[in-house]
Amino acid sequence: MQKIELMAPAGNFESMQAALDNGADSIYFGVEQLNMRARATVNFTLEDLPEIVKRCEAKNVRTYLTLNTIIYDHDLSIVKTLIKQAKQVNITAVIAMDQAVIAVAREHGMEVHISTQINITNIETVKFYALFADTMVLSRELSLRQVKYITDQIEKDQIKGPSGRLIEIEIFGHGALCMAVSGKCYMSLHSHNSSANRGACKQNCRKKYTVIDQETGVEMELDNEYIMSPKDLCTIDFLDQVADAGIKVLKIEGRGRAPEYVAKVIKCYREAIDSIANGNYSKEQVITWMQELEKVYNRGFWSGYYLGQKLGEWSKGSGSHATQKKVYIGKGVHFYPKAKVGEFKIEAYDLSIDDTILITGTTTGAKEFQLKQMLVNDEPLLKGTKGDSITIPLDFRIRPSDKLYKIVENKVEV
Amino acid sequence: MVVITLQRNKCIGCNYCVELAPNLFQMSKKDGKSVLLNTKEKKGFYTLKSNDFNILEASENASKACPVNIISVKIN
Repeated sequence: MQKIELMAPAGNFESMQAALDNGADSIYFGVEQLNMRARATVNFTLEDLPEIVKRCEAKNVRTYLTLNTIIYDHDLSIVKTLIKQAKQVNITAVIAMDQAVIAVAREHGMEVHISTQINITNIETVKFYALFADTMVLSRELSLRQVKYITDQIEKDQIKGPSGRLIEIEIFGHGALCMAVSGKCYMSLHSHNSSANRGACKQNCRKKYTVIDQETGVEMELDNEYIMSPKDLCTIDFLDQVADAGIKVLKIEGRGRAPEYVAKVIKCYREAIDSIANGNYSKEQVITWMQELEKVYNRGFWSGYYLGQKLGEWSKGSGSHATQKKVYIGKGVHFYPKAKVGEFKIEAYDLSIDDTILITGTTTGAKEFQLKQMLVNDEPLLKGTKGDSITIPLDFRIRPSDKLYKIVENKVEV
Repeated sequence: MVVITLQRNKCIGCNYCVELAPNLFQMSKKDGKSVLLNTKEKKGFYTLKSNDFNILEASENASKACPVNIISVKIN
């Protein structure tokens, strides 16, 4: 069986580097405003494209440009500019929803992947889009049984894309889910003029709501006030079944997430995919991975619709249930390459030996480890506080723009 | 005086401002973002100053509708 491709979200250079360092096979990212995270400050610009490709090609990692909003006439020019530029710098493929994007990409000889925004739920739709695309993301609401039927039919009917290869099926493996069918939601547009389908979702489904009977004023009794906010998808505990469904690509959601999230999630899924390929995927490993995944942003986990669930499982809170959080400590000052030592300035709180620290930066990515050794103002002390200059032995280079955090326990109120 | 400001780089190109104030805004065919007509740029902000109070209602409607809150309307 072909090994599953692990696709990581890259909202910025920090997250991209974290994905590269932790074993992603491919990354997806947005440029400018025409992608599903238009609102976030996490988008790259056109000028970043060559650097993205350079860093990814060096690690043999494929690059996918998301261009998957609905498109208006006034967008057509920027669509063409983006695709032309992407082709020129050797981006692997464009992830598209609108037929205009598909058409322009094909015109420029650019490989096309069909976004989950198209909601492919059957084999005939796969056949239709096979005229234009080599990879298709299925609707997130299908069961694995339905996914397997589609992948089996592709094999049986030898459905091939423009490249001449069999169509590859991709599904979402981990991260946020919507209450609406794969993002086709008008709630944010309705309440805030802010269209999810233009990448500007206000996430008002994540808030607390009560339902009131207008006639009597009686509040409806609900088991859970977060009636529209699904828990996050997690498939690592049944990833063997996911692999058996014949998918080729596993996509991790989270272009709006922090670099340490990308690092942690990609590391876990990398190990899980490798262990399935090596035949040693086990329950014990799953327990360890789950504990690791719970440390970073999550709304609680469920298996989505893959195992045949009829309805969603709702989150028990508005924010994250992560068991850990990061606390800003200070910033990088200098790296001494010969001694392999990084110098930092503590700007807040304190730092002690045995603390778990996180260093993030656009080139550094997200590096997390336990602090075993440090000098505080050139002396070997156990603790450094605000204003102190500290040096730490490192097996990687840091930069002056890097940030230093301490990882602490996060008490979750449910 | 009516002072309208557009912080253009954050525009997501939703077109609401053009629908609500077509005499003031236009979508750029170059980059798909909104353009506040007859203005000059200063540090990413485009400002229109006008003594024509007839533009007030439309510009305020555009400001309220903007999903990314990049249009501000003030009276000086």
